Amino acid sequence: MRVSLATHGGLAAPIIRRLPPRVLDTDQLPGDAARELRRLVAAAAADPGAAGPAPHARDAMTYTITVDDSSDSTTLTSSDTGMSPAFGALLTWIERHLG
Amino acid sequence: MTINRISCVTPPFILTRLLDSENGEIRQAALATLVTTANLRGERTVRGLIAGALAAPADGRRSVYDCKGSTFLPFATLVRSEDDGPVADPSANRAFDGFGSIRQFFRDVFQRNSIDDRGMRLQGYVHRGHRYNNAFWDGQEMVFGDGDGLVFSDFTGSLDVIAHELGHGVTEHTAGLEYHRQSGALNESLSDVVGSMVKQWALQQTADQADWLIGAEVFTPTIDADALRSMRAPGTAFDNKLFGKDPQPDHMDRFVELPDTDEGDWGGVHINSGIPNKAFYLVATGIGGNSWEAPGRIWYESLKASTSTTQFQDFADTTYQKAGQLYGTGSNQQQAVKEAWAEVGIPVTTTPSLAG
Repeated sequence: MRVSLATHGGLAAPIIRRLPPRVLDTDQLPGDAARELRRLVAAAAADPGAAGPAPHARDAMTYTITVDDSSDSTTLTSSDTGMSPAFGALLTWIERHLG
Repeated sequence: MTINRISCVTPPFILTRLLDSENGEIRQAALATLVTTANLRGERTVRGLIAGALAAPADGRRSVYDCKGSTFLPFATLVRSEDDGPVADPSANRAFDGFGSIRQFFRDVFQRNSIDDRGMRLQGYVHRGHRYNNAFWDGQEMVFGDGDGLVFSDFTGSLDVIAHELGHGVTEHTAGLEYHRQSGALNESLSDVVGSMVKQWALQQTADQADWLIGAEVFTPTIDADALRSMRAPGTAFDNKLFGKDPQPDHMDRFVELPDTDEGDWGGVHINSGIPNKAFYLVATGIGGNSWEAPGRIWYESLKASTSTTQFQDFADTTYQKAGQLYGTGSNQQQAVKEAWAEVGIPVTTTPSLAG
């Protein structure tokens, strides 16, 4: 499974938009970590939260997480002010494993 | 003799403390319970507390919460309130002290009582997310990340960044500028103006002495960048191999057209803000002295006279009219405003439509 994280917007938007998406390959993770990632992806896919920022939010970031797994591809999008706890847990997990 | 005791699951002293809760529903529930209890017991002291809680304005009371790496704000823990002394966490103290400086700035300089001019509570969240490279205003409160430690560091380290976020709250409670294209870039610029003025006011620097940088402290020492933005020279805040050259324009001829999407920064709101940023810098240095005095007053009155759809030209015209109203037609201040906007490619017109 291959997971990529693209980030947009925020206080430093002109800088953030020039940074490439970051990619995580689960082949390089231990088996239990890959299973945990699958569980988090499933939970976030079921309830990602709002795709865009709240109407009055300013400097909020948006996130696009793309999960390629064999023949399936899943794209999840949410924002700082709209994400569900499940999306937040997935985002945090990815950030921690990207190092 | 019969003694009627009132049984209450939540002791009154806890209910009284809950009147100070940040959660409106909890405050309301505590108040309702106390009112009922006080009516039953006829207790004067409790009724006095209730009256005090209802009468006392918030006066921008500060609360700082620790997210402990979570992205979900309701999980955060309150770590410092208005009457508390410094705590062990430097990020919480910087946010708390920053809010205090900004609150005093608005009170002393513009006679404004907090974000909404009605004493709105100032609530901040620190340590949000993991390696989070941002700070934002969510419509009610300010949120700060620690940075990834590679490119960005703790966003509470910059007073002008804290003031920038709080400035979004002031804009929301005045003009309510839409966060797209020119009105969005103006929204961003006004937050940079607030950030810059607060920093200069805190340092007691004149316009000529100031660095006019926004977010000079948010980069780690390994990153070759002066700041997020330069108001004096938009387009020059950074130029490095990692994220390229600062794309901010300093003139309408170089206005950057971008899609109104998250990837397009909602039409380049953080990019085209360079144009009105430069105009404010030119006004401040043209008038001379302190930016928060005549230049700040002209911009603040123009913000209050603007609407959600105000464009660059509208705002330029409004500042010109406000400068005339405040300091006289043909005054040095009004002339400085006229020359500044002309220099960034937005010559003022003589029939402004917004200023009253």
